[in-house]
Amino acid sequence: MRGSGNYRDTGTGSSEVRLLCDLEQTEPSWTVRHVGGAMRGAGADQISVLVRTMVESKVSKNVLRMFYVLGYRLDHELLRVGFSFQFNRGAQITVTVSSVNKMLKLHATDEAVPVTPGIQMVEVTAPASAENYTEVAAAVQSFCEYLAPLLHLSKPGVSTGVVPTAAAAAASLMSDGGGTPL
Amino acid sequence: MPVRWILHWQPNQGSSVNSHILNEISQCVDNFNGVKDGRWKATLTFYRPNLRDSSMAATEFPRDFIGISLMEVPNKYFFIIRGHKLVLEADSSILTIFEKLQSYKSKVALNFEGLQYKLGDFQVRLIKVVPNTAENLRGILMEIEYLPISSVEKAKPIIEEFVEIWREVLSKKSLHGQFMRAEPNFAEYGLSDNYTWQHTAVQYAAALAQLIASVQSRN
Repeated sequence: MRGSGNYRDTGTGSSEVRLLCDLEQTEPSWTVRHVGGAMRGAGADQISVLVRTMVESKVSKNVLRMFYVLGYRLDHELLRVGFSFQFNRGAQITVTVSSVNKMLKLHATDEAVPVTPGIQMVEVTAPASAENYTEVAAAVQSFCEYLAPLLHLSKPGVSTGVVPTAAAAAASLMSDGGGTPL
Repeated sequence: MPVRWILHWQPNQGSSVNSHILNEISQCVDNFNGVKDGRWKATLTFYRPNLRDSSMAATEFPRDFIGISLMEVPNKYFFIIRGHKLVLEADSSILTIFEKLQSYKSKVALNFEGLQYKLGDFQVRLIKVVPNTAENLRGILMEIEYLPISSVEKAKPIIEEFVEIWREVLSKKSLHGQFMRAEPNFAEYGLSDNYTWQHTAVQYAAALAQLIASVQSRN
């Protein structure tokens, strides 16, 4: 389980940061993450995956209080519950399958409700540098194509609608001999 | 990790800190058969809010937001907000995040540079405090580390005795000042008896606050 909050600075202009707490460990561990805007331009349109900068820092447990003291305010808070898989296929690929839940009270992880009941989010990510991101993007795209019989993954911002579950897709594949309607 | 105390040089009323004092103290350490163990460095940065809206008052944001990097742990960075008794340990990538956030900017940076000496079970660092952009000496610190013990309470009487010996030796030199310790309450920062880098960061912030206060009172 991982909770995360998006915090926005209220005094110094638009400045957003994510604080992630890994609740699965015996002692919760915190990470600060800054996610930059998506790569834009003609080059970006050619790439079928989303490329954006991300910087992370592991931090000690006082981070929430520190950001409040610095003038940041909570924008929204989510709880992600699910699984994470690691693959090495041309790049170090992480696949997470999770439900996204909102908390009815601040930090109340026991009282979270799904944002989209019955629907899980599948995310495929891989770290890259400025020098190799095109190769990594190609590896991620290739991996997504490999998953295509079970799952249709799309570039964020390019909607493909709701996808049937993997089990239903596999059953459909076996009965139809191919081609799963989306 | 071993417990360390950080002391700051407190000049007597009417006196100031200068390189002569630093040289005399170095001489004392040499006379004690301290074995030079290399150079040492740290950087302390004061941050101020980057207020884009001029109607926002700077007083709404912390004025004592400090960052410290220590040569011994180059992949770590420490933030301290003394007024809120807050210390945070982070990966050094936190600096990149703050650069991207643009909410706080570096106001003043101070370099802590010095030599370290080994004296039996103690490691002593004699540190000069200089601004990042200048060479003039702003303060002198002494770090005393007792290597065998990592409990703050257990190390206290042993380091206290060592400090007393030093004070006596230095008092004979007529240096018009003495080493003092701004002893922070570690429990208020949520720190335990087991000594960590966060304890060191808190002590540096406390020592610096004392240095600033003594400079201001002389001016």
